[in-house]
Amino acid sequence: MTLAARASRTTIIGAVCGREWREAAGNKLLVGMTLFPPVVILAAGVFAVAAAAVYPPSESDLRAIYAAAPAVQGLDPTQAVQGLIAQYFLILFMLIPTVVPLTIAIYSVIGEKSARTLEPLLATPVGVGELLLAKSIASTVPAVLVTWVAYVIYLGSVFVFGSPPAVHAVTAPRWVLAVIVMVPLLTALSVNLGILISTRVNDVRVAQQIGGLVVVPIVAIGIAQVTGRVVLDDQSFFSTTIFLIAVDVIVFFAAKVAFQRENILSRWR
Amino acid sequence: MTIVLRTEGLTKRFGALTAVDRLDIEVREGEVFGFLGPNGAGKTTTLRLLCALIAPSAGSAEIAGLRLGRDDERIRGSVGILTEHPGLYERLTATENLMFFAALYGMEKRQARAQVERFLRLMGLWEKRDDAVVTFSRGMKQKMAIARAALHEPRLLFLDEPTTGLDPDAARTVRDLILSLAREGRTVFLCTHNLDEADRLCDRIAFFRRQVIRIDEPDRLRAELYGRTVEIRVVPTPRPEHLERVRTVHGVREAWLENGSILVRTDDPLGTDPAVVRELVGAGADIAFVSERRVSLEDVYLKIVHDQEDAEKAPARP
Repeated sequence: MTLAARASRTTIIGAVCGREWREAAGNKLLVGMTLFPPVVILAAGVFAVAAAAVYPPSESDLRAIYAAAPAVQGLDPTQAVQGLIAQYFLILFMLIPTVVPLTIAIYSVIGEKSARTLEPLLATPVGVGELLLAKSIASTVPAVLVTWVAYVIYLGSVFVFGSPPAVHAVTAPRWVLAVIVMVPLLTALSVNLGILISTRVNDVRVAQQIGGLVVVPIVAIGIAQVTGRVVLDDQSFFSTTIFLIAVDVIVFFAAKVAFQRENILSRWR
Repeated sequence: MTIVLRTEGLTKRFGALTAVDRLDIEVREGEVFGFLGPNGAGKTTTLRLLCALIAPSAGSAEIAGLRLGRDDERIRGSVGILTEHPGLYERLTATENLMFFAALYGMEKRQARAQVERFLRLMGLWEKRDDAVVTFSRGMKQKMAIARAALHEPRLLFLDEPTTGLDPDAARTVRDLILSLAREGRTVFLCTHNLDEADRLCDRIAFFRRQVIRIDEPDRLRAELYGRTVEIRVVPTPRPEHLERVRTVHGVREAWLENGSILVRTDDPLGTDPAVVRELVGAGADIAFVSERRVSLEDVYLKIVHDQEDAEKAPARP
Protein backbone atom coordinates (compact mmCIF):
# COMPACT_ATOMS: atom_id res chain seq x y z
CA MET A 1 0.00 0.00 0.00
CA THR A 2 1.45 3.33 -1.02
CA LEU A 3 1.99 5.97 1.66
CA ALA A 4 1.21 8.81 -0.74
CA ALA A 5 -1.86 10.95 -0.14
CA ARG A 6 -3.19 14.20 -1.56
CA ALA A 7 -1.14 16.98 0.02
CA SER A 8 -3.09 20.09 0.98
CA ARG A 9 -2.45 23.32 -0.92
CA THR A 10 -0.98 24.85 2.25
CA THR A 11 1.45 21.94 2.58
CA ILE A 12 2.51 22.24 -1.06
CA ILE A 13 3.03 26.01 -0.82
CA GLY A 14 4.87 25.60 2.49
CA ALA A 15 7.12 22.85 1.11
CA VAL A 16 7.92 24.68 -2.14
CA CYS A 17 8.55 28.02 -0.39
CA GLY A 18 10.73 26.39 2.28
CA ARG A 19 12.74 24.54 -0.34
CA GLU A 20 13.15 27.54 -2.64
CA TRP A 21 14.17 29.86 0.19
CA ARG A 22 16.68 27.39 1.62
CA GLU A 23 18.20 26.96 -1.84
CA ALA A 24 18.18 30.71 -2.51
CA ALA A 25 19.88 31.40 0.82
CA GLY A 26 22.73 29.15 -0.29
CA ASN A 27 23.10 30.98 -3.61
CA LYS A 28 25.33 33.96 -2.86
CA LEU A 29 24.90 35.41 -6.34
CA LEU A 30 21.11 35.34 -6.02
CA VAL A 31 21.20 36.82 -2.51
CA GLY A 32 23.51 39.57 -3.78
CA MET A 33 21.35 40.32 -6.79
CA THR A 34 18.26 40.40 -4.56
CA LEU A 35 19.69 42.77 -1.99
CA PHE A 36 21.78 45.01 -4.22
CA PRO A 37 18.97 47.12 -5.84
CA PRO A 38 17.10 47.94 -2.59
CA VAL A 39 20.33 48.72 -0.75
CA VAL A 40 21.50 51.06 -3.53
CA ILE A 41 18.12 52.81 -3.86
CA LEU A 42 17.75 53.10 -0.09
CA ALA A 43 21.28 54.41 0.42
CA ALA A 44 20.91 56.89 -2.43
CA GLY A 45 17.53 58.11 -1.10
CA VAL A 46 18.75 58.57 2.47
CA PHE A 47 21.95 60.23 1.26
CA ALA A 48 20.05 62.63 -1.04
CA VAL A 49 17.60 63.70 1.70
CA ALA A 50 20.43 64.14 4.23
CA ALA A 51 22.63 65.99 1.71
CA ALA A 52 19.82 68.40 0.87
CA ALA A 53 19.71 69.41 4.53
CA VAL A 54 23.46 70.11 4.57
CA TYR A 55 23.82 71.70 1.14
CA PRO A 56 21.02 74.15 0.34
CA PRO A 57 20.13 74.52 -3.35
CA SER A 58 21.51 77.31 -5.49
CA GLU A 59 19.26 80.00 -6.88
CA SER A 60 19.16 78.40 -10.32
CA ASP A 61 18.34 74.95 -8.79
CA LEU A 62 15.56 76.54 -6.83
CA ARG A 63 14.06 78.18 -9.89
CA ALA A 64 14.09 74.82 -11.68
CA ILE A 65 12.47 73.11 -8.68
CA TYR A 66 9.71 75.74 -8.42
CA ALA A 67 9.10 75.42 -12.16
CA ALA A 68 8.83 71.61 -11.99
CA ALA A 69 6.76 71.54 -8.80
CA PRO A 70 4.70 74.67 -8.28
CA ALA A 71 3.26 73.14 -5.08
CA VAL A 72 6.52 73.70 -3.18
CA GLN A 73 6.72 77.40 -4.10
CA GLY A 74 6.95 79.60 -1.03
CA LEU A 75 8.59 76.92 1.10
CA ASP A 76 12.01 77.27 2.63
CA PRO A 77 14.52 76.19 -0.13
CA THR A 78 16.00 73.29 1.92
CA GLN A 79 12.57 72.04 2.88
CA ALA A 80 11.34 72.31 -0.70
CA VAL A 81 14.27 70.33 -2.06
CA GLN A 82 13.96 67.66 0.63
CA GLY A 83 10.24 67.29 0.02
CA LEU A 84 10.79 66.90 -3.69
CA ILE A 85 13.66 64.42 -3.33
CA ALA A 86 11.80 62.36 -0.73
CA GLN A 87 8.82 62.02 -3.05
CA TYR A 88 10.78 61.22 -6.20
CA PHE A 89 12.72 58.48 -4.46
CA LEU A 90 9.43 56.81 -3.68
CA ILE A 91 9.06 56.24 -7.41
CA LEU A 92 12.46 54.57 -7.42
CA PHE A 93 11.19 52.31 -4.62
CA MET A 94 8.66 51.00 -7.11
CA LEU A 95 11.58 49.62 -9.10
CA ILE A 96 12.47 47.21 -6.29
CA PRO A 97 9.36 45.01 -6.69
CA THR A 98 10.02 44.78 -10.43
CA VAL A 99 13.73 44.01 -10.36
CA VAL A 100 14.13 41.79 -7.26
CA PRO A 101 11.38 39.19 -7.85
CA LEU A 102 12.27 38.95 -11.52
CA THR A 103 15.69 37.60 -10.60
CA ILE A 104 14.24 35.19 -8.03
CA ALA A 105 11.53 33.93 -10.40
CA ILE A 106 13.97 33.44 -13.26
CA TYR A 107 16.33 31.43 -11.05
CA SER A 108 13.36 29.48 -9.73
CA VAL A 109 12.48 28.15 -13.20
CA ILE A 110 15.72 28.25 -15.18
CA GLY A 111 17.60 26.91 -12.15
CA GLU A 112 15.26 23.90 -12.10
CA LYS A 113 15.53 23.49 -15.86
CA SER A 114 19.31 23.40 -15.84
CA ALA A 115 19.49 21.15 -12.75
CA ARG A 116 16.86 18.86 -14.34
CA THR A 117 14.82 18.83 -11.17
CA LEU A 118 11.49 19.56 -12.81
CA GLU A 119 10.69 16.03 -13.95
CA PRO A 120 10.84 14.45 -10.47
CA LEU A 121 8.84 17.41 -9.19
CA LEU A 122 6.17 16.95 -11.86
CA ALA A 123 6.04 13.22 -11.13
CA THR A 124 4.53 13.92 -7.71
CA PRO A 125 0.76 14.01 -7.23
CA VAL A 126 0.69 17.82 -7.35
CA GLY A 127 -1.14 19.91 -9.93
CA VAL A 128 0.99 22.22 -12.09
CA GLY A 129 -1.30 25.13 -11.19
CA GLU A 130 -0.56 24.55 -7.50
CA LEU A 131 3.12 24.24 -8.26
CA LEU A 132 3.10 27.49 -10.23
CA LEU A 133 1.16 29.26 -7.48
CA ALA A 134 3.63 27.99 -4.88
CA LYS A 135 6.57 29.14 -7.00
CA SER A 136 4.95 32.55 -7.53
CA ILE A 137 4.43 32.96 -3.80
CA ALA A 138 7.98 31.80 -3.07
CA SER A 139 9.33 34.55 -5.35
CA THR A 140 6.80 37.24 -4.39
CA VAL A 141 7.06 37.12 -0.59
CA PRO A 142 10.78 37.92 -0.22
CA ALA A 143 10.59 40.73 -2.79
CA VAL A 144 7.61 42.34 -1.09
CA LEU A 145 9.25 42.01 2.32
CA VAL A 146 12.52 43.48 1.06
CA THR A 147 10.64 46.45 -0.44
CA TRP A 148 8.59 47.05 2.68
CA VAL A 149 11.64 46.83 4.93
CA ALA A 150 13.49 49.26 2.66
CA TYR A 151 10.48 51.61 2.74
CA VAL A 152 10.28 51.48 6.55
CA ILE A 153 14.01 52.24 6.83
CA TYR A 154 13.57 55.08 4.35
CA LEU A 155 10.65 56.46 6.38
CA GLY A 156 12.75 56.31 9.55
CA SER A 157 15.63 58.09 7.83
CA VAL A 158 13.36 60.84 6.48
CA PHE A 159 11.94 61.30 9.98
CA VAL A 160 15.50 61.70 11.30
CA PHE A 161 17.08 63.78 8.52
CA GLY A 162 14.14 65.24 6.66
CA SER A 163 12.11 68.43 6.91
CA PRO A 164 8.34 68.43 7.64
CA PRO A 165 7.50 68.62 3.90
CA ALA A 166 9.74 65.57 3.30
CA VAL A 167 8.02 63.66 6.11
CA HIS A 168 4.67 64.77 4.76
CA ALA A 169 5.60 63.55 1.24
CA VAL A 170 6.65 60.05 2.30
CA THR A 171 3.76 59.53 4.71
CA ALA A 172 1.09 60.76 2.32
CA PRO A 173 -1.75 58.20 2.37
CA ARG A 174 -1.48 57.84 -1.41
CA TRP A 175 2.14 56.68 -1.14
CA VAL A 176 1.54 54.46 1.88
CA LEU A 177 -1.29 52.81 -0.05
CA ALA A 178 0.92 52.56 -3.11
CA VAL A 179 3.55 50.69 -1.13
CA ILE A 180 1.00 48.41 0.53
CA VAL A 181 -1.12 47.67 -2.56
CA MET A 182 0.96 48.36 -5.65
CA VAL A 183 4.17 46.74 -4.46
CA PRO A 184 2.59 43.25 -4.20
CA LEU A 185 0.81 43.77 -7.53
CA LEU A 186 3.99 44.88 -9.31
CA THR A 187 5.88 42.00 -7.67
CA ALA A 188 3.32 39.43 -8.82
CA LEU A 189 3.47 40.88 -12.34
CA SER A 190 7.23 40.70 -12.40
CA VAL A 191 7.27 37.13 -11.00
CA ASN A 192 4.81 35.76 -13.52
CA LEU A 193 6.52 37.57 -16.38
CA GLY A 194 9.79 36.07 -15.13
CA ILE A 195 8.23 32.60 -15.15
CA LEU A 196 6.74 33.18 -18.59
CA ILE A 197 10.07 34.33 -20.02
CA SER A 198 11.91 31.46 -18.32
CA THR A 199 9.75 28.94 -20.14
CA ARG A 200 11.20 30.17 -23.43
CA VAL A 201 14.89 30.73 -22.67
CA ASN A 202 17.55 28.73 -20.87
CA ASP A 203 19.97 31.47 -19.91
CA VAL A 204 19.46 33.51 -16.76
CA ARG A 205 21.15 36.58 -18.27
CA VAL A 206 18.99 36.52 -21.41
CA ALA A 207 15.85 36.14 -19.29
CA GLN A 208 16.94 39.07 -17.12
CA GLN A 209 17.56 41.25 -20.14
CA ILE A 210 14.12 40.50 -21.55
CA GLY A 211 12.51 40.81 -18.12
CA GLY A 212 14.31 44.10 -17.54
CA LEU A 213 11.82 45.69 -19.91
CA VAL A 214 9.29 45.52 -17.06
CA VAL A 215 11.01 48.48 -15.41
CA VAL A 216 10.57 50.67 -18.47
CA PRO A 217 6.98 51.79 -17.68
CA ILE A 218 7.97 52.56 -14.06
CA VAL A 219 10.94 54.65 -15.18
CA ALA A 220 8.74 56.35 -17.80
CA ILE A 221 6.17 57.30 -15.15
CA GLY A 222 8.98 58.62 -12.92
CA ILE A 223 10.42 60.75 -15.70
CA ALA A 224 6.97 61.98 -16.71
CA GLN A 225 6.27 63.03 -13.15
CA VAL A 226 9.65 64.74 -12.70
CA THR A 227 9.10 66.72 -15.89
CA GLY A 228 5.60 67.62 -14.80
CA ARG A 229 3.90 65.73 -17.64
CA VAL A 230 2.06 63.35 -15.34
CA VAL A 231 0.62 64.11 -11.94
CA LEU A 232 0.32 61.05 -9.71
CA ASP A 233 -2.96 61.91 -8.06
CA ASP A 234 -5.51 59.65 -6.38
CA GLN A 235 -7.31 58.99 -9.66
CA SER A 236 -4.17 57.86 -11.47
CA PHE A 237 -3.19 55.60 -8.54
CA PHE A 238 -6.61 53.99 -8.59
CA SER A 239 -6.53 53.49 -12.36
CA THR A 240 -3.00 52.04 -12.21
CA THR A 241 -4.06 49.64 -9.45
CA ILE A 242 -7.00 48.35 -11.46
CA PHE A 243 -4.80 48.05 -14.54
CA LEU A 244 -2.15 46.11 -12.57
CA ILE A 245 -4.74 43.70 -11.16
CA ALA A 246 -6.01 42.98 -14.68
CA VAL A 247 -2.50 42.53 -16.10
CA ASP A 248 -1.53 40.30 -13.14
CA VAL A 249 -4.45 37.98 -13.85
CA ILE A 250 -3.69 37.84 -17.58
CA VAL A 251 0.03 37.19 -17.09
CA PHE A 252 -0.62 34.53 -14.41
CA PHE A 253 -2.88 32.62 -16.77
CA ALA A 254 -0.40 33.03 -19.63
CA ALA A 255 2.31 31.61 -17.33
CA LYS A 256 -0.05 28.78 -16.37
CA VAL A 257 -0.58 27.90 -20.03
CA ALA A 258 3.18 27.86 -20.66
CA PHE A 259 3.86 25.94 -17.46
CA GLN A 260 2.15 22.69 -18.48
CA ARG A 261 3.54 19.28 -17.58
CA GLU A 262 3.73 18.04 -21.17
CA ASN A 263 5.22 21.29 -22.49
CA ILE A 264 7.87 21.27 -19.82
CA LEU A 265 8.90 17.67 -20.44
CA SER A 266 8.60 17.52 -24.21
CA ARG A 267 9.37 21.00 -25.47
CA TRP A 268 11.49 22.82 -22.91
CA ARG A 269 15.14 22.55 -23.88
CA MET B 1 -1.54 -13.31 -10.67
CA THR B 2 -2.67 -9.67 -10.37
CA ILE B 3 -1.95 -7.43 -13.31
CA VAL B 4 -0.66 -4.08 -12.02
CA LEU B 5 -0.08 -2.47 -15.40
CA ARG B 6 -1.99 -3.03 -18.62
CA THR B 7 -1.80 -0.99 -21.81
CA GLU B 8 -3.92 -1.35 -24.91
CA GLY B 9 -2.84 0.33 -28.12
CA LEU B 10 -1.06 3.04 -26.17
CA THR B 11 0.37 5.51 -28.65
CA LYS B 12 2.26 8.76 -28.38
CA ARG B 13 2.85 11.02 -31.33
CA PHE B 14 4.83 14.27 -31.40
CA GLY B 15 3.69 15.90 -34.62
CA ALA B 16 4.64 13.54 -37.43
CA LEU B 17 6.87 11.42 -35.19
CA THR B 18 5.36 8.37 -33.53
CA ALA B 19 7.44 7.75 -30.42
CA VAL B 20 5.33 4.92 -29.03
CA ASP B 21 3.18 2.89 -31.38
CA ARG B 22 0.25 0.77 -30.16
CA LEU B 23 1.91 -0.53 -27.01
CA ASP B 24 0.22 -3.62 -25.57
CA ILE B 25 1.78 -4.96 -22.40
CA GLU B 26 0.74 -6.52 -19.12
CA VAL B 27 2.98 -6.38 -16.07
CA ARG B 28 2.30 -8.66 -13.11
CA GLU B 29 2.35 -7.54 -9.52
CA GLY B 30 5.67 -8.24 -7.82
CA GLU B 31 7.71 -8.95 -10.92
CA VAL B 32 10.81 -7.19 -12.19
CA PHE B 33 9.93 -6.31 -15.76
CA GLY B 34 12.77 -5.37 -18.08
CA PHE B 35 12.12 -2.88 -20.86
CA LEU B 36 14.97 -3.04 -23.36
CA GLY B 37 15.55 -1.20 -26.57
CA PRO B 38 18.08 0.85 -28.50
CA ASN B 39 18.58 4.59 -27.99
CA GLY B 40 15.66 6.57 -29.34
CA ALA B 41 13.34 3.57 -29.16
CA GLY B 42 10.82 5.50 -27.07
CA LYS B 43 11.56 3.99 -23.67
CA THR B 44 11.64 7.29 -21.78
CA THR B 45 8.47 8.45 -23.53
CA THR B 46 6.79 5.20 -22.49
CA LEU B 47 7.86 5.76 -18.90
CA ARG B 48 6.50 9.28 -18.96
CA LEU B 49 3.20 8.02 -20.37
CA LEU B 50 2.90 5.33 -17.73
CA CYS B 51 3.71 7.79 -14.93
CA ALA B 52 0.96 10.14 -16.17
CA LEU B 53 3.49 12.83 -16.98
CA ILE B 54 2.40 13.18 -20.59
CA ALA B 55 -0.90 12.32 -22.23
CA PRO B 56 -1.25 9.54 -24.80
CA SER B 57 -2.32 10.34 -28.35
CA ALA B 58 -4.35 7.13 -28.51
CA GLY B 59 -4.98 3.93 -26.60
CA SER B 60 -5.53 3.31 -22.93
CA ALA B 61 -3.70 2.15 -19.84
CA GLU B 62 -4.58 0.94 -16.38
CA ILE B 63 -1.90 1.49 -13.79
CA ALA B 64 -2.24 0.20 -10.23
CA GLY B 65 -5.96 -0.16 -10.86
CA LEU B 66 -6.27 3.46 -12.01
CA ARG B 67 -7.23 4.74 -15.43
CA LEU B 68 -4.67 6.84 -17.31
CA GLY B 69 -6.19 10.18 -18.32
CA ARG B 70 -8.87 10.01 -15.63
CA ASP B 71 -6.89 9.35 -12.43
CA ASP B 72 -3.56 10.93 -13.34
CA GLU B 73 -2.87 12.53 -9.98
CA ARG B 74 -3.63 9.28 -8.13
CA ILE B 75 -1.45 7.37 -10.59
CA ARG B 76 1.44 9.68 -9.78
CA GLY B 77 0.89 8.93 -6.12
CA SER B 78 0.88 5.18 -6.75
CA VAL B 79 4.03 5.00 -8.81
CA GLY B 80 7.61 6.13 -8.29
CA ILE B 81 10.00 7.11 -11.05
CA LEU B 82 13.75 7.28 -11.28
CA THR B 83 14.34 9.68 -14.14
CA GLU B 84 17.29 9.62 -16.52
CA HIS B 85 19.03 12.32 -14.46
CA PRO B 86 18.98 12.28 -10.64
CA GLY B 87 17.56 15.85 -10.56
CA LEU B 88 18.30 16.61 -6.91
CA TYR B 89 18.40 19.99 -5.20
CA GLU B 90 22.13 20.21 -4.75
CA ARG B 91 22.25 22.98 -2.15
CA LEU B 92 19.93 21.04 0.13
CA THR B 93 21.01 18.18 2.36
CA ALA B 94 20.05 14.56 1.71
CA THR B 95 17.38 14.74 4.42
CA GLU B 96 15.98 18.06 3.16
CA ASN B 97 15.68 16.68 -0.37
CA LEU B 98 13.74 13.62 0.73
CA MET B 99 11.59 15.49 3.27
CA PHE B 100 10.57 17.93 0.53
CA PHE B 101 9.33 15.13 -1.70
CA ALA B 102 7.68 13.37 1.24
CA ALA B 103 5.65 16.56 1.81
CA LEU B 104 4.58 16.68 -1.86
CA TYR B 105 3.52 13.02 -1.59
CA GLY B 106 1.31 14.08 1.31
CA MET B 107 3.14 12.02 3.93
CA GLU B 108 2.82 12.98 7.58
CA LYS B 109 5.96 14.40 9.13
CA ARG B 110 6.61 11.50 11.52
CA GLN B 111 5.99 8.93 8.79
CA ALA B 112 8.18 10.92 6.40
CA ARG B 113 11.06 11.07 8.88
CA ALA B 114 10.85 7.31 9.42
CA GLN B 115 10.84 6.62 5.67
CA VAL B 116 13.72 9.02 5.05
CA GLU B 117 15.79 7.28 7.71
CA ARG B 118 14.85 3.85 6.36
CA PHE B 119 15.90 4.62 2.79
CA LEU B 120 19.01 6.59 3.67
CA ARG B 121 20.17 3.64 5.80
CA LEU B 122 19.25 1.18 3.05
CA MET B 123 21.33 3.18 0.57
CA GLY B 124 24.25 3.57 2.95
CA LEU B 125 23.78 7.35 3.07
CA TRP B 126 22.59 7.78 6.66
CA GLU B 127 25.95 9.13 7.82
CA LYS B 128 25.74 11.76 5.07
CA ARG B 129 22.18 12.80 5.85
CA ASP B 130 23.10 16.37 6.83
CA ASP B 131 25.55 16.94 3.97
CA ALA B 132 24.60 19.06 0.96
CA VAL B 133 23.95 16.87 -2.08
CA VAL B 134 26.43 18.96 -4.10
CA THR B 135 29.21 17.19 -2.19
CA PHE B 136 27.95 13.72 -3.22
CA SER B 137 29.52 11.49 -5.85
CA ARG B 138 27.49 10.51 -8.92
CA GLY B 139 26.76 7.12 -7.40
CA MET B 140 25.53 8.66 -4.16
CA LYS B 141 23.26 11.00 -6.10
CA GLN B 142 21.84 8.08 -8.05
CA LYS B 143 21.14 6.23 -4.81
CA MET B 144 19.46 9.36 -3.44
CA ALA B 145 17.26 9.54 -6.54
CA ILE B 146 16.25 5.90 -6.10
CA ALA B 147 15.46 6.54 -2.45
CA ARG B 148 13.28 9.47 -3.53
CA ALA B 149 11.43 7.29 -6.08
CA ALA B 150 10.71 4.58 -3.49
CA LEU B 151 10.11 6.86 -0.50
CA HIS B 152 6.30 6.73 -0.60
CA GLU B 153 6.23 2.94 -1.08
CA PRO B 154 4.77 2.98 -4.59
CA ARG B 155 3.10 -0.14 -5.94
CA LEU B 156 4.98 0.26 -9.17
CA LEU B 157 8.49 1.61 -9.47
CA PHE B 158 9.80 2.83 -12.83
CA LEU B 159 13.58 2.90 -13.02
CA ASP B 160 15.32 4.45 -16.02
CA GLU B 161 18.91 3.17 -16.21
CA PRO B 162 19.33 2.85 -12.44
CA THR B 163 22.96 1.70 -12.40
CA THR B 164 24.38 3.93 -15.14
CA GLY B 165 27.57 5.56 -13.96
CA LEU B 166 27.72 3.63 -10.71
CA ASP B 167 30.80 1.82 -9.48
CA PRO B 168 30.40 -1.95 -9.03
CA ASP B 169 29.78 -1.61 -5.30
CA ALA B 170 27.05 1.02 -5.70
CA ALA B 171 25.54 -0.91 -8.63
CA ARG B 172 25.28 -3.99 -6.42
CA THR B 173 23.54 -1.95 -3.69
CA VAL B 174 21.00 -0.77 -6.27
CA ARG B 175 20.46 -4.28 -7.66
CA ASP B 176 20.00 -5.65 -4.14
CA LEU B 177 17.46 -2.93 -3.45
CA ILE B 178 15.53 -3.79 -6.62
CA LEU B 179 15.42 -7.44 -5.61
CA SER B 180 14.38 -6.60 -2.05
CA LEU B 181 11.58 -4.38 -3.35
CA ALA B 182 10.40 -7.20 -5.58
CA ARG B 183 10.50 -9.59 -2.60
CA GLU B 184 8.24 -7.12 -0.74
CA GLY B 185 5.75 -7.55 -3.58
CA ARG B 186 6.48 -4.27 -5.34
CA THR B 187 6.63 -4.24 -9.10
CA VAL B 188 9.72 -2.86 -10.77
CA PHE B 189 9.64 -1.66 -14.37
CA LEU B 190 13.27 -1.49 -15.36
CA CYS B 191 14.56 0.38 -18.42
CA THR B 192 18.15 -0.53 -18.99
CA HIS B 193 20.89 -0.91 -21.55
CA ASN B 194 22.74 -3.19 -19.18
CA LEU B 195 21.70 -6.57 -20.54
CA ASP B 196 23.67 -8.51 -17.96
CA GLU B 197 21.78 -6.62 -15.28
CA ALA B 198 18.44 -7.28 -16.97
CA ASP B 199 19.35 -10.96 -17.19
CA ARG B 200 20.12 -11.13 -13.49
CA LEU B 201 17.18 -9.10 -12.24
CA CYS B 202 14.23 -9.48 -14.58
CA ASP B 203 11.53 -12.09 -14.43
CA ARG B 204 10.39 -11.06 -17.89
CA ILE B 205 11.73 -8.72 -20.49
CA ALA B 206 10.24 -6.78 -23.35
CA PHE B 207 12.27 -5.82 -26.40
CA PHE B 208 10.96 -2.51 -27.56
CA ARG B 209 11.44 -0.24 -30.51
CA ARG B 210 8.49 2.09 -30.76
CA GLN B 211 6.51 -1.14 -30.54
CA VAL B 212 7.02 -4.22 -28.41
CA ILE B 213 8.93 -6.75 -30.50
CA ARG B 214 8.97 -9.61 -27.99
CA ILE B 215 8.04 -10.21 -24.35
CA ASP B 216 9.09 -13.31 -22.46
CA GLU B 217 11.29 -14.75 -19.74
CA PRO B 218 14.99 -14.44 -20.64
CA ASP B 219 15.61 -18.19 -20.55
CA ARG B 220 12.63 -18.97 -22.74
CA LEU B 221 13.80 -16.44 -25.32
CA ARG B 222 17.26 -18.00 -25.31
CA ALA B 223 15.85 -21.46 -25.74
CA GLU B 224 13.54 -20.37 -28.50
CA LEU B 225 16.12 -18.44 -30.49
CA TYR B 226 19.22 -20.46 -29.87
CA GLY B 227 18.14 -23.71 -28.27
CA ARG B 228 20.44 -25.01 -25.52
CA THR B 229 24.12 -25.31 -26.21
CA VAL B 230 26.47 -27.72 -24.40
CA GLU B 231 30.21 -27.71 -24.59
CA ILE B 232 31.92 -31.14 -24.58
CA ARG B 233 35.66 -30.94 -23.94
CA VAL B 234 37.46 -33.83 -25.59
CA VAL B 235 41.14 -34.47 -24.75
CA PRO B 236 43.57 -34.03 -26.27
CA THR B 237 41.43 -32.69 -29.16
CA PRO B 238 38.25 -33.86 -30.85
CA ARG B 239 38.68 -35.62 -34.16
CA PRO B 240 36.53 -34.91 -37.26
CA GLU B 241 34.82 -38.30 -36.95
CA HIS B 242 33.69 -37.38 -33.41
CA LEU B 243 31.87 -34.41 -34.84
CA GLU B 244 30.30 -36.55 -37.57
CA ARG B 245 29.07 -39.06 -35.00
CA VAL B 246 27.56 -36.29 -32.85
CA ARG B 247 25.68 -34.90 -35.84
CA THR B 248 23.96 -38.25 -36.35
CA VAL B 249 22.40 -38.22 -32.88
CA HIS B 250 18.66 -37.64 -32.90
CA GLY B 251 17.72 -34.21 -31.47
CA VAL B 252 20.98 -32.43 -32.34
CA ARG B 253 20.14 -29.19 -34.10
CA GLU B 254 23.69 -28.13 -34.81
CA ALA B 255 27.24 -29.20 -33.83
CA TRP B 256 30.60 -27.56 -34.43
CA LEU B 257 34.20 -27.44 -33.21
CA GLU B 258 35.51 -24.55 -31.16
CA ASN B 259 38.78 -24.29 -29.22
CA GLY B 260 39.23 -27.99 -28.61
CA SER B 261 35.59 -28.62 -27.73
CA ILE B 262 32.54 -29.88 -29.54
CA LEU B 263 29.56 -27.57 -29.19
CA VAL B 264 26.13 -29.08 -29.53
CA ARG B 265 22.89 -27.16 -29.88
CA THR B 266 19.66 -28.92 -29.09
CA ASP B 267 16.09 -28.14 -28.14
CA ASP B 268 15.91 -30.97 -25.62
CA PRO B 269 19.15 -31.13 -23.64
CA LEU B 270 17.87 -33.65 -21.09
CA GLY B 271 16.98 -36.13 -23.78
CA THR B 272 19.78 -35.45 -26.26
CA ASP B 273 22.92 -34.76 -24.18
CA PRO B 274 23.25 -38.28 -22.64
CA ALA B 275 22.91 -39.79 -26.12
CA VAL B 276 25.64 -37.48 -27.47
CA VAL B 277 28.00 -38.45 -24.61
CA ARG B 278 27.31 -42.17 -25.20
CA GLU B 279 28.02 -41.74 -28.92
CA LEU B 280 31.32 -39.98 -28.26
CA VAL B 281 32.46 -42.52 -25.67
CA GLY B 282 31.51 -45.26 -28.14
CA ALA B 283 33.71 -43.51 -30.73
CA GLY B 284 36.68 -43.64 -28.34
CA ALA B 285 36.65 -39.98 -27.28
CA ASP B 286 38.08 -39.09 -23.86
CA ILE B 287 35.67 -36.52 -22.36
CA ALA B 288 37.17 -34.12 -19.78
CA PHE B 289 33.93 -32.28 -18.96
CA VAL B 290 30.47 -31.39 -20.22
CA SER B 291 29.01 -27.98 -19.41
CA GLU B 292 26.13 -25.82 -20.54
CA ARG B 293 27.10 -22.76 -22.55
CA ARG B 294 24.73 -19.90 -21.83
CA VAL B 295 23.88 -17.62 -24.69
CA SER B 296 24.15 -14.07 -23.41
CA LEU B 297 21.10 -11.85 -23.35
CA GLU B 298 23.14 -9.51 -25.51
CA ASP B 299 23.12 -12.12 -28.29
CA VAL B 300 19.38 -12.54 -27.88
CA TYR B 301 18.85 -8.77 -27.90
CA LEU B 302 20.99 -8.21 -30.99
CA LYS B 303 19.32 -11.03 -32.86
CA ILE B 304 15.84 -9.78 -32.09
CA VAL B 305 16.63 -6.14 -32.88
CA HIS B 306 18.55 -6.97 -36.06
CA ASP B 307 15.87 -9.38 -37.25
CA GLN B 308 13.35 -6.60 -36.83
CA GLU B 309 15.58 -4.13 -38.67
CA ASP B 310 15.95 -6.63 -41.53
CA ALA B 311 12.21 -7.18 -41.63
CA GLU B 312 11.64 -3.40 -41.82
CA LYS B 313 14.21 -3.02 -44.63
CA ALA B 314 12.90 -5.97 -46.66
CA PRO B 315 10.81 -4.78 -49.64
CA ALA B 316 7.14 -5.44 -49.25
CA ARG B 317 5.89 -8.32 -51.38
CA PRO B 318 3.44 -7.37 -54.11
